[in-house]
Amino acid sequence: MTDFLSLWADSLPQLLAATVKVTIPLSIIAFVLALVVAVLATVMRLSRIRPLQWVSRFYVWLFRGTPILVQLFIIFYGLPAAGITLSAWTSAIIAFTLNTGAYAAETLRASVQSIPRGQLEAARTLNFTGWQTVRHVIAPQALRIALPPLGNDLIDLVKGTSLVMVITLADVFQVGRQIAATNFQPLALYAEVAVVYLAIFTVLSFLQSRLERASNRYIRSPRA
Amino acid sequence: MLELNDVSKSFGGTAVLTRVSLALNDGETTVVLGPSGSGKSTLLRTMNLLEIPESGCLSINGDSVTFGGSLTRKQVSAIRRRSAMVFQGYNLFPHQSVLDNVAMPPVLNGKADRAASRARAVELLGKVGMSHRLEEYPDNLSGGQQQRVAIARALAVEPDYLLFDEPTSALDPELEAEVIRVMVDLARERRSLVVVTHNIGFARRVADRIVFLADGGIGFDGTPEDFFASESERIRRYLNVFDAV
Repeated sequence: MTDFLSLWADSLPQLLAATVKVTIPLSIIAFVLALVVAVLATVMRLSRIRPLQWVSRFYVWLFRGTPILVQLFIIFYGLPAAGITLSAWTSAIIAFTLNTGAYAAETLRASVQSIPRGQLEAARTLNFTGWQTVRHVIAPQALRIALPPLGNDLIDLVKGTSLVMVITLADVFQVGRQIAATNFQPLALYAEVAVVYLAIFTVLSFLQSRLERASNRYIRSPRA
Repeated sequence: MLELNDVSKSFGGTAVLTRVSLALNDGETTVVLGPSGSGKSTLLRTMNLLEIPESGCLSINGDSVTFGGSLTRKQVSAIRRRSAMVFQGYNLFPHQSVLDNVAMPPVLNGKADRAASRARAVELLGKVGMSHRLEEYPDNLSGGQQQRVAIARALAVEPDYLLFDEPTSALDPELEAEVIRVMVDLARERRSLVVVTHNIGFARRVADRIVFLADGGIGFDGTPEDFFASESERIRRYLNVFDAV
């Protein structure tokens, strides 16, 4: 047990460094960009202009229908054959942005469509403009509905970043593998890597539940 | 004055309104009655352009639109600012407090600044007996309270006409009475009300005028006295349903 703990203590700084330098920034950057992409895809999907709907549907179909690993390979190893060479970082950001954006777009679309029609009619009769309706009626309500699934998308994204080792990025998992390869203690190292992911998950879960509680403040409590 | 001329509206090939013409006077309470499916709600929603008829025209106090072609945002806006709707299902914004529900629309419409709008909202909520729940969210209110807030919200945008679409149908009798009291007060102030309802008592007691819809058209348009004394078989059959209840 003492050996186990000392192994963990020795490797923890390297694992944390990889977490801070790769796993967390990659997750944050990709998630923020994914939200932007998701909003655009949702606006296109719900627009009355058919070609925009088709583009959005095709994007979601493509990126939800293919594994993220394949997407990473195509962007990092495949595109150079077409004359487009991207760094591992750029490739990872693009792949995770587009992949998570497709899932988030579906979440946002479903959230917007679940808002009762009466809400939009009330906005219309009060003579709100389209933008005012989105800003003051649709977005606040859709966001509340979308928060839990979007939180899950973020958690999936963080865990999914462990795949970036295949395109040479040294994330927490890759660093764990490298250490395990030198000290021949795979069980200890991979368990430690798992604990790092669990720690990130725990923080994200806590933040998610706080956000959900704040966004649910207007829903009648069971005691009311 | 609110005028509908030769308005026709159908849904999926089924005609709901057929060449309906109607002229309502400012300051009157008009109650629209009729059997289910007779087009009462459609008629009311046409006045606020929630439904766009296939033909005919609508004018409210100088703003008018002709149906049959596409309407510009400006035309729609000009008509909508003339009226406000109170729905059967209230349709308050659940994420906003009672006060914000009433204070926000005039701000967004550019009719008042935030401070003036809040002061006016407090006044209107007092008028409908909701001063004590200003910071509450709609979900924590009874149906009758929500509907009274919805009436205050409709008043806040200062419409020429207040349109009520079965405002008490979802309420039990006790809560219905709360809402009816507010509507009676508005009628006594000589506001222009158009009320679609099945509440015959309200029609009898408050209406200046009754419009009875049947078979896609207007089957009666006149005073409550004439309506309730009518020998028309269609009207008698309609009223007998309520007598039976």
